[in-house]
Amino acid sequence: MDTLVAFAHGMAVALEPMNLVYCLVGALVGTLIGVLPGLGPVATVAMLLPVTFYLPPVSALIMLAGIYYGAQYGGSTTAILVNLPGENSSVVTCLDGYQMARRGRAGPALAIAALGSLFAGCMATLFIVLFAPPLAEVALAFGPAEYFSLMLLGLIAAIVLAQGSIVKALGMIVLGLLLSAVGTDVNSGGARMTLGIPALADGIGFVPLAMGLFAAGEIIRNLENPEQRSIFTGKITGLWPTRDDFRRAWPAVLRGTALGSVLGLLPGGGAMLSSFAAYALEKRISREPHRFGQGAIEGVAAPESANNAGAQTSFIPLLTLGIPANAVIALMAGAMMIHGIQPGPQVMTKNPELFWGVVASMIIGNVMLVVINLPLIRVWVWLLKMPYRFLYPMILVFCCIGVYSLNNSVFEVLLLVVFGFFGYVLLKLRCEPAPLLLSFVLGPLMEENLRRAMQISKGDPSVFVTRPISAVLLALTVGLLVLIVLPSLRRTREVAFQEEP
Amino acid sequence: MKITTRGINAPDLVTGLFLIAVALVALWLSWSLRAGTSFRMGPGYIPQALCWLQIAMGLFIVLQSFLGERVPWEPWLPRPIIGILASVTFFALTIERFGLIVAVFGVTVLACITNRETRLWEAVLLGAAMAAFSVLVFVIGLQLPIAVWKGL
Repeated sequence: MDTLVAFAHGMAVALEPMNLVYCLVGALVGTLIGVLPGLGPVATVAMLLPVTFYLPPVSALIMLAGIYYGAQYGGSTTAILVNLPGENSSVVTCLDGYQMARRGRAGPALAIAALGSLFAGCMATLFIVLFAPPLAEVALAFGPAEYFSLMLLGLIAAIVLAQGSIVKALGMIVLGLLLSAVGTDVNSGGARMTLGIPALADGIGFVPLAMGLFAAGEIIRNLENPEQRSIFTGKITGLWPTRDDFRRAWPAVLRGTALGSVLGLLPGGGAMLSSFAAYALEKRISREPHRFGQGAIEGVAAPESANNAGAQTSFIPLLTLGIPANAVIALMAGAMMIHGIQPGPQVMTKNPELFWGVVASMIIGNVMLVVINLPLIRVWVWLLKMPYRFLYPMILVFCCIGVYSLNNSVFEVLLLVVFGFFGYVLLKLRCEPAPLLLSFVLGPLMEENLRRAMQISKGDPSVFVTRPISAVLLALTVGLLVLIVLPSLRRTREVAFQEEP
Repeated sequence: MKITTRGINAPDLVTGLFLIAVALVALWLSWSLRAGTSFRMGPGYIPQALCWLQIAMGLFIVLQSFLGERVPWEPWLPRPIIGILASVTFFALTIERFGLIVAVFGVTVLACITNRETRLWEAVLLGAAMAAFSVLVFVIGLQLPIAVWKGL
């Protein structure tokens, strides 16, 4: 009952005119970057971070959240119309969505993707309302040992869910932790590995690192290959799906929503993993698996519902445990800390209007997104015609201004140069930058909790296994590590990620 | 059926060596920091532990790169690397000295001409448009405290 009252209060916050405007801005920007390939939510949220200085925290988070789930809507448009994932999480939507478009059924594919996402968005919000408060209560019982073990579990879980080599992902995690150790030591106040550069005393900036890895590095990489993009030439006639489409799509939407909501909860999870898993599931349980890849509407409905659900429920670990589950959420954690709000279980009690306002805004945002994406589809189709050679200089300008304006620091722009090159090297070496960014964010929190736990136990490491919650979390971590090494899981993991065309 | 041949996995080999190299530099940098005991950890405890862990992983990746199938080395193209990094560097060097208009115009033009397909007049036009847009949105609209124009 309390939850309902709190949610109603949050709805009132979300319905304030200013917050409605920022919700709309977030949804519009999210759709825009979702439609444009080569610009993802990580880079966009990083670019907009300085702007959020000047907004109240609720409005800022409503807007940033809107960008993340809005990108899931926009990504499907590009996937269906030009067979190119606008977002990573729409990779599998290309398979059947584009086939539908080639058969002249682009309209129904877009409509099912948007309506499925709307349903998933509302259900995921309900999921947050139901499960976040009890989780936050559990989290209040956490001490430093539990936090450390939980974050360790999160890092290891992120590897299971990352693509590519496991050892390399582990290596990226350690590298991220090491980078996060640069700066002033919290306990002694001494400088660590700063090369004597005063600007590094506060540590390496998260924004230049994120933008270098996810924007600048990717631009360099994309410029290596000459532009190849199929242009959508057909017309979209008739958006409304047939009765048969609905009959086939609704169970897929239900399954996609359920799967996405659960997978979004996992640290390292979120939109991308959810869509891959949902597509694989649909194909496996379908009575007519041969239809997949030939324009099966279930192949659009399930992953598009799942990625939206996953994007939204990935807020739960941040708002209840203070642990960002992926890079986008880590940036939101940054936005909260800019405003002096420490993400964690106390957000719900100390800043209820923030927590419930953001959650309630998700429903409003999803309704806005359906309106933005269906009747206005022609605007986005027109935008798709913008060639990448004009797009990337714009991205670069926004990156530069974004990084500079964060602290008015030239040094941070130079860091962007360094990390841009670093990001390119990682892409060339086929290393995933996402685990690195996640561990970079968790690094300082982990070190602090580890040191505190060891101080409380007077240097006895057994504290991590004698406290029951911590022991369970560590057992899960070890179990996961063992599972990763087992060949059978490694195979299914490869299969799950090999749905790419 | 994919044909696989045994041989060196070049990207993995370099990844391993890269991790080891970074860890060695970090170890050297954090060498003078007091490590302390696990009861009272000094500032050097965690960084040094991470360095050793990273060296171990690097070695493992290097070893593994000899045992799997052959993955060839992808060539690096210098033009995009130099062009993009130079354009961001240009921004860093000009933003405080000459202001936003010069910096944005420069970034855009340098970034544009990195791509051979883009003509110079297109680059100049886009540069001017981006400069105007940035001033309007960031300085006038969002009121970010950035100097727009400083005399040459």
